[in-house]
Amino acid sequence: MLSKLLKHEFKATARLMLPLYLVLCVLTIVDRIALSIEFKGALNVIPVFATFAYGLSIVAIAVVSFVIIVLRFYKNLMTDEGYLMFTLPTKSHQLINSKLLVSFVWNIASILVIILSIFGVMATPDRMDLFRDGYQMFISELKQEFGAFNMSLFLFEFIVLMIVGLINNILIIYVSIAVGQLFNGHKVLGSFAAYIGIGTVIQIVMTVLFITLGVLFNKSFSESSSVPQIIFPITIGFLLLTNVLYYWGTDFIFKRKLNLE
Amino acid sequence: MSAILECKSLSKKFTALTALSNVNLTLERGRIIGLLGPNGSGKTTMIKLLNGLLVPTSGSILVDGKLPGPETKKIVSYLPEKTYLPDWMKISDTIEFFQDFYPDFDSKRANEMLERLHLDANRRMKTLSKGTKEKVQLILVMSRNADLYCLDEPIGGVDPAARDYILNTIITNYNENATVLISTHLIADIEKILDEVVFIKDGNITLHASVEDIRSKEGKSVDTLFREVFKC
Repeated sequence: MLSKLLKHEFKATARLMLPLYLVLCVLTIVDRIALSIEFKGALNVIPVFATFAYGLSIVAIAVVSFVIIVLRFYKNLMTDEGYLMFTLPTKSHQLINSKLLVSFVWNIASILVIILSIFGVMATPDRMDLFRDGYQMFISELKQEFGAFNMSLFLFEFIVLMIVGLINNILIIYVSIAVGQLFNGHKVLGSFAAYIGIGTVIQIVMTVLFITLGVLFNKSFSESSSVPQIIFPITIGFLLLTNVLYYWGTDFIFKRKLNLE
Repeated sequence: MSAILECKSLSKKFTALTALSNVNLTLERGRIIGLLGPNGSGKTTMIKLLNGLLVPTSGSILVDGKLPGPETKKIVSYLPEKTYLPDWMKISDTIEFFQDFYPDFDSKRANEMLERLHLDANRRMKTLSKGTKEKVQLILVMSRNADLYCLDEPIGGVDPAARDYILNTIITNYNENATVLISTHLIADIEKILDEVVFIKDGNITLHASVEDIRSKEGKSVDTLFREVFKC
């Protein structure tokens, strides 16, 4: 059943994302050409406009990727469309899974597409050499700072942190929307209030946690190895814990407290 | 075989009001049943409970002997009083959607009905009028081979000609073991197709009888009886 939910979720979102990717692709080519030609006089505005349009399309992709997280969840599950979705022969957590997975994939895809397109506009053999040198310098500096083992650990944890962090950003929105629909008649307002409330509580808990840890590990915190060995693992653990709480909370509300208008 | 719907001391309270209080009701298979009551009497609450969109405060509701969940949703075909199809979908998308999620969906039947009502499957939902959207929803719901059809105000928004067609669709499109539960306050229009009626008032079931009994014992039509019982 999850595969069918995923299929239809992709179908509902691809119609928004794919045209934007196509626009970015076209503007990448246009901008690349515009920047490579020497214009004279007033025609100089052409590369300026091309770059501006290109930048705008990147912003559009970033915004729509975020909006998809919020709107697909809210509109498809909490408004009249919820009557369709919640009477499908599925479990409520499968609805959450399908939305979460599809939002996650689009956000990762958008990041990759934007990076690729920046290369598409900028990349020349000279610049690629420069980029390669910069990258190698970055890695060797990391190695110097952390040592080979801690550097690999650092990079691995960094990627895990990005993934868990993205899921965290999505799930806090889901749980806020789910909490918001408990407020009859003020569902959107309730969602914003829930988002701010939950966010504030998490910030406070995290601050207290790190101050406590700072006192406990006083000495080792000043060493660079504490990042991959203490700070990152604890942050990842904390995010995972909140992810579980957000997910569970959303599913609990769907199962026990659903109240569609 | 267990009854298609069984409510046992079913209650649903919201913060400000009691929508259903201690309802006991058993509906058998193969019947067309009208769930009749004025606005705010608890009809929609009961239908939402049986579709798992609400959870009872106390008591239980069983569909085919099971609590509402994925298994009961497979055999219940539900028409809410909302226009619940995403507006970006074409009619053909909605048919594909139902076909993917409900194994009992008969797309051939759906397409035949679309054709008879002169609805173009390539139209998008957002271009349709409210009444047309309701027709599309009813076609989808009635194209399933379900055990229980649960229609919440199915004829409220459509014109009388379409109303007749829809009622005709309801009678001709369900199999003998299926039950159709229709909630409405437009009784005169549907009286002729009903086998049984359930009167609901302020969250209580005040009457559950066959239409025949009402006619022979009371000597009046359901519509007349309804107007007497629910006189303001």
